[in-house]
Amino acid sequence: MQIIYTDVLVIGGGLAGQRAAIGARRRGHEAIVLSLVPAKRSHSAAAQGGMQASLGNCLGASGDNEDIHFADTVRGSDWGADQQVVRMFTHIAPKAIRELSAWGVPWNRVQQGTRDITINGQKQRIEESAAAHGLITARNFGGTEKWRACYVSDGTGHAMLYTMSNQAIAAGIPVHDRREALALIHDGERCCGAIVRNLQNGELLAYVAKATCIATGGFGRIYRVSTNAIINEGMGAAIALETGIAQLGNMEAVQFHPTAIVPAGILVTEGCRGDGGLLLDSAGHRFMPDYEPNKMELASRDVVSRRMEQHIAAGHGVKGRFGEHLWLDIRLLGKTHIERNLREVKEICHYFLGIDPVSDLIPVRPAQHYSMGGVRTDHRGQSPQLRGLFAAGEAACWDIHGFNRLGGNSVAETVVAGMVVGDSMADYCDSAEGALQISTTLIEAFGRREQQRLATIANGGSGENAFELTRLMQDTMTENVGIFRHGDKLKHAVDTLATLQQRATNITLRSSARGANPELVAAYRLQRMLKLAQCTAYGALQRTESRGAHYRADYPQRNDGQWLNRTLASWPEADARLPTLGYEKLDIMAMELPPGWRGYGDKDHIAHPDTDLRQREINAALAELGDNADRYQRQRTLMPFNHLLPAHLRGHNERLGDKT
Amino acid sequence: MPQAMSPWPARMDLLQSLSGLLLVLFIWSHMFFESSILLGEDAMYQVSRMFEGEPFFGKPYPLIVSGVGITIFVLVAVHAILALRKFPGNSRQYRLLHQHMGAIRHPDTTLWYAQVATGFCLFFLIPAHLYTVITQPENIGPYASSDRVWSERFWIVYALLLLTVHAHAAIGMYRLFMKWYAPSGVNAKQTRARMKVAMWCILVFFTVLGSASLLTYMRIGYQHTDSVGERYKPATVQDKGH
Amino acid sequence: MNLIATEEGPRTLQISVLRHNPQDTESTPHWQTFELEEAQSMTLFIALNEIRQTMEPSLQFDFVCRAGICGSCGMLVNGRPGLACRTLTRNLPDKITLAPLPGFELIGDLSVNTGKWMRGMSEHLETWIHQHNLEQTDIDRLEERMEPELAEKIYELERCIECGCCIAACGTARMREDFIGAAGLNQIARFRLDPRDERTDADFYTLVGDESGVFGCMTLLGCEDYCPKDLPLAAQIAFLRGRMVAASL
Repeated sequence: MQIIYTDVLVIGGGLAGQRAAIGARRRGHEAIVLSLVPAKRSHSAAAQGGMQASLGNCLGASGDNEDIHFADTVRGSDWGADQQVVRMFTHIAPKAIRELSAWGVPWNRVQQGTRDITINGQKQRIEESAAAHGLITARNFGGTEKWRACYVSDGTGHAMLYTMSNQAIAAGIPVHDRREALALIHDGERCCGAIVRNLQNGELLAYVAKATCIATGGFGRIYRVSTNAIINEGMGAAIALETGIAQLGNMEAVQFHPTAIVPAGILVTEGCRGDGGLLLDSAGHRFMPDYEPNKMELASRDVVSRRMEQHIAAGHGVKGRFGEHLWLDIRLLGKTHIERNLREVKEICHYFLGIDPVSDLIPVRPAQHYSMGGVRTDHRGQSPQLRGLFAAGEAACWDIHGFNRLGGNSVAETVVAGMVVGDSMADYCDSAEGALQISTTLIEAFGRREQQRLATIANGGSGENAFELTRLMQDTMTENVGIFRHGDKLKHAVDTLATLQQRATNITLRSSARGANPELVAAYRLQRMLKLAQCTAYGALQRTESRGAHYRADYPQRNDGQWLNRTLASWPEADARLPTLGYEKLDIMAMELPPGWRGYGDKDHIAHPDTDLRQREINAALAELGDNADRYQRQRTLMPFNHLLPAHLRGHNERLGDKT
Repeated sequence: MPQAMSPWPARMDLLQSLSGLLLVLFIWSHMFFESSILLGEDAMYQVSRMFEGEPFFGKPYPLIVSGVGITIFVLVAVHAILALRKFPGNSRQYRLLHQHMGAIRHPDTTLWYAQVATGFCLFFLIPAHLYTVITQPENIGPYASSDRVWSERFWIVYALLLLTVHAHAAIGMYRLFMKWYAPSGVNAKQTRARMKVAMWCILVFFTVLGSASLLTYMRIGYQHTDSVGERYKPATVQDKGH
Repeated sequence: MNLIATEEGPRTLQISVLRHNPQDTESTPHWQTFELEEAQSMTLFIALNEIRQTMEPSLQFDFVCRAGICGSCGMLVNGRPGLACRTLTRNLPDKITLAPLPGFELIGDLSVNTGKWMRGMSEHLETWIHQHNLEQTDIDRLEERMEPELAEKIYELERCIECGCCIAACGTARMREDFIGAAGLNQIARFRLDPRDERTDADFYTLVGDESGVFGCMTLLGCEDYCPKDLPLAAQIAFLRGRMVAASL
């Protein structure tokens, strides 16, 4: 078995992975990026609408800053996020966008003068200032106080990914594409690389690294209807889980995006609603204001998706050939706007639906979209259980999203986390702790184990079909672990998944094709995906409350008293039927923003006794500071976070209105 | 930064286009002069005398025509040599290209191939034509030309030349536009479609014009079979001179 | 050509795939035909997956986003390059041929290594912002301003998804393996337009001023006509050609 040595191994070639690799490379460490597909084809490219960063340039964004972005994100997360990490994130996001701007992303810019916009179904005329002309502009997104989603038409992720990839090429970072990590090599305490399969010729090889970063994105493909790319099967999180040591956080927190087209499940951006698009029912009635009078179509995604399903269940769905759906109406935005700022949407409608959104309604229904859960890391992106293992982006549970992510925060997280983790890995490699001594025996042992697992699939079995079992898993998840969850259905899902797990050990391949062998790939990925699915279903079954995107019809209230915590799943015994769940408490007394009402969604929740206590503490501390304290001082008093940042990312972010 | 590259690829590309452009402008003017026969033998006689310089020098100098012929020949040679660079260079390239064209059936690629094919024919036809022009410049006139067309059976050469050169020229002009000034913006597709229509119109126009002229020369030549070698004397000159 | 299934019931499609597995020394390129019933809204992505799952598990092809965004699934559909994921079978005749994109290294069946080709192109043309003090950019400060219209123009060219259709559609690229094609020339046009890139026309000339670059282009326009993203490739190449000639004079 060939062994490749490097300082830093990044598994995943999307925005997070490549930014982390660039960070480590700039600190003088050798970095290799592994990717299932050519890096520029990663799913980051599919992010359409925008990246959240509180630049505050355009009119709709004026007055925006880290504090507001922080509060929006914490409320969006339904208080499930790690607030210190959210602070780090909102502080770095403007830097990330400015760095990308310098690197070549053609962000849309503020055009001074008047223009017409659509708000609440009405045309309005606004005037952008001359001072902001040429700075990066932003559009409105759900669950945010300000216009904060910086965008490049509706190809934001594409433009960012290409710029990032080009910088990685410029830095001479090799991308070993069409390669898949099958297992992490570790000695029980320390991760030291991965066993990797070459997807072109089927050979196994070992990558040995001081620091290994998982940046493989989400695991949406455990569901039948998902906006995710078909490579989003969560293999990074799965191999971390299979170490038996590393833990996955909040796997039951799965986001459903309100506007996926029916039936293909392809996403049309939240920018449609941000720019003024409306949701209509079968009668052509705009129903969101009935449910959410404050934010209407622009409540957070979990809330909008839930309201849509609720409205369909109440008999207002449009009956179509592929089941029921609702309408997204962007006709009121006008041809010019659509062809300029929503051109991918127009293309998708044209090719997949045969309609023109300038004159036609778009059939939409919520679909699985994002995994808030992933490899649990500390604030620097390292696994607390397995040294040398890092994670970034959707694959990680760094935890800025808690139980619901805001639109535009994921693409922002990829880059920000990449910046932080790249630096963390470099620090780790530089430290004494990072020095690596590994015996080839250990590497060989892991290599043999994976070889053996593949051989077992290729040679044995009792007739089970990998594709068929995958379909059953996806159906089970979509039908039982969806937007509305219930104890009975979840129990059913857990049992079905356990059975499927058993059956997946009896897969027989019909093809013995040399090389990659797509059937073999489907078989070994299924075994791992089933574990992720089980973490999701079992975690959802255990969490007897509703929080963010995790909604239990049988426990409809958020219960801070009992459930203000983060689920941690691990799988210590490879043959176990279920994951081992643990819970990490979220300490209200350390929070800058204690739990309350989100400003949208249901108002009733079961409060934690600490909430009032902490609020009084905060009020007192702020009163003591006096009125002269600036917002930085006030923030520092409540929850200092600056010391957690990499040293070069600690400066204040300059804004237009700053007093110099 | 890699080391500086030769400026010659740029110059050759420009030269190929420029020589092509000049040749097209030449052939189109040529067609108008040549078709003066449609207005009568006198008109063609005047035009041919004009090109021999008679209005300027008082008497005809057929060598001027030879000179023009040689210039055109040089232009054609330059154009052909530059164009040859782009032809499939070996059997492998030729096979790949044919495979490609067969599968994709793409109109503009086919147009280019039409230029390759016509260019190849012109490689033989143009020298045949120019040879007589350069070596017998004095034999251009209503009767001399017609005799050559009919009695010396040059109509075969001219008919082939007519079809190939106009296809080559019209397609060439369209492609020249696309090469140096392709339309862009929202109406790009429409503009290009219009340019293509213009290309076909020009092609038809010159083919019809050329055919009509050629048929006229053939008719005169046929009627003149009995007195081959006789030179045309325009009516005006006949009246004044003799 | 609108061959929508009639009321008589779904069509049976005959899909012929050009198959070859270079990993297998005994494999030779051959056509294999699959018959399957057309479904509503069926795309080639759905059709190929159905073939793999129910008929031929070893069939190789590449899909990633399945939404026409990532550029993975370029292939020849009835001889013409296009993105398979967004090709609806209802727009195709009963008999469909699928072949891998020519001009790229074949991985197996319909899977080709466009990624490797594109990475090579990027390295060769240095498709990134060249600015001497890029690493010293102060990202705490306000970003450099840019005219809104210019940003949109850059994005227009940035929309390339490197699917390889322009290369497969190009007769020149078929004959000359070193030709960088419309994908490469478009990148140069994109960075030339970008004021953040300090390179001059003379610098760009060193990258594309030869027969493997802009002067190799014979204006066959396959790139323009088969670009799934409708990029203004012909106009960009024409413009670039002019600038490069000017730089050489």
